[in-house]
Amino acid sequence: MNDALNNMNIENLKFFGKVNASISHELKNILAIISETAGFLNDLTELAKQGKELKLSLLENCSNSIAEEIQRGFTTIKQMNRFSHSVDVPVMDVDLLEILDLIIGLTGFLSFAGNVRIEDKDQKFEAITTCPFILQNLLYRILCFAYECAGPDGEIRLRLSPEKDKGILLTFLNSAQMPVEKFPDEKIKQTADLLGVEFKKNNSFYELNMLIPHTCDKIKELEKNQ
Amino acid sequence: MVIQEDIMEGTEKIHLLMVDDEVKFLQTITERLKLKFFDITSATNGKEAIAAAEKGRFDVAVIDLQMPGIDGVQVLEILKKNHKYLEVLILSGHATIETAVTCTKLGAFKVLEKPCDFDKLVEAIKEAYETRLKKKFEHDEIRMKQIQALALGQSPLGILKELAKMDEAEK
Repeated sequence: MNDALNNMNIENLKFFGKVNASISHELKNILAIISETAGFLNDLTELAKQGKELKLSLLENCSNSIAEEIQRGFTTIKQMNRFSHSVDVPVMDVDLLEILDLIIGLTGFLSFAGNVRIEDKDQKFEAITTCPFILQNLLYRILCFAYECAGPDGEIRLRLSPEKDKGILLTFLNSAQMPVEKFPDEKIKQTADLLGVEFKKNNSFYELNMLIPHTCDKIKELEKNQ
Repeated sequence: MVIQEDIMEGTEKIHLLMVDDEVKFLQTITERLKLKFFDITSATNGKEAIAAAEKGRFDVAVIDLQMPGIDGVQVLEILKKNHKYLEVLILSGHATIETAVTCTKLGAFKVLEKPCDFDKLVEAIKEAYETRLKKKFEHDEIRMKQIQALALGQSPLGILKELAKMDEAEK
């Protein structure tokens, strides 16, 4: 049991590191664009000094581009902040839609991320009592598995439906076939086990089903000790 | 962002293949390099880059490491295998020593960290182009002496112009 917990802690730490590395990569990309655009403005200024015509549309494009990248940077930092604070309290009531929204944003920084959308985002669900950080780890891993199957042009849809007195059924619908026989792997299984998440039988190679419970005994125990 | 005017004098330019999935970065750096001494073809993924290299003749390729589908390391491997004198620079947001070693073993001229200072990038392209010509003319003693002489006392762009003239004259 202790070994399993130690392994789990290492895996969680790795996840934290991986997400932070991908955020820093995203921020580097943003800064690279701002830096090159500023450099381009300098180049245009130098040309204007030499008597070349300065096109206002180019200046406008540059300033718009810088403004857009700054906005992208703010969004990234906001996501980084939400992710960092998810370790503040081990167990809490969470809105699954909010967690999914964050995980979609964070996985979006990965080079192999495809398109993903949540079906019917206006639905309202009862909050679930869980460990938000471990749930993020689980959803991140599953989404990465789905992206790798879908390829860069594929699409993944996430469908949520309430299961009375049990929790929320989350279905990953992939535009490409998935090797469902390889799912879940040992790491995903261990993570899911901590949260009481149950994998349901898949009806096709295009979908993965999981039941996220409102709470479970392990979470209750963790909550007692916090 | 398209610049209509070509400010370069003469027709000899360095043919660059720029590959990056970050489209806005690619567009901006392409425009900046066009203002210098380069004829640029850009590609937003590995597949496009390999296809472009098959169609065109390039002197130097600048490739981003992390891309969806065929990544920078795979593109490097294919380009080096199929294009004898093409020199490849790798741009990476997260260049680890391990990655740099892998890329160097596969024949990358240099691995640069992104964001990269523009002048340093131009300098690296110049060095890569010089290396390409040295390999191409390694059995031509006169040309080799000319290349070595050029490396002294000129700006990177000045050297590039002279090197490109020499390369063009050979075609």
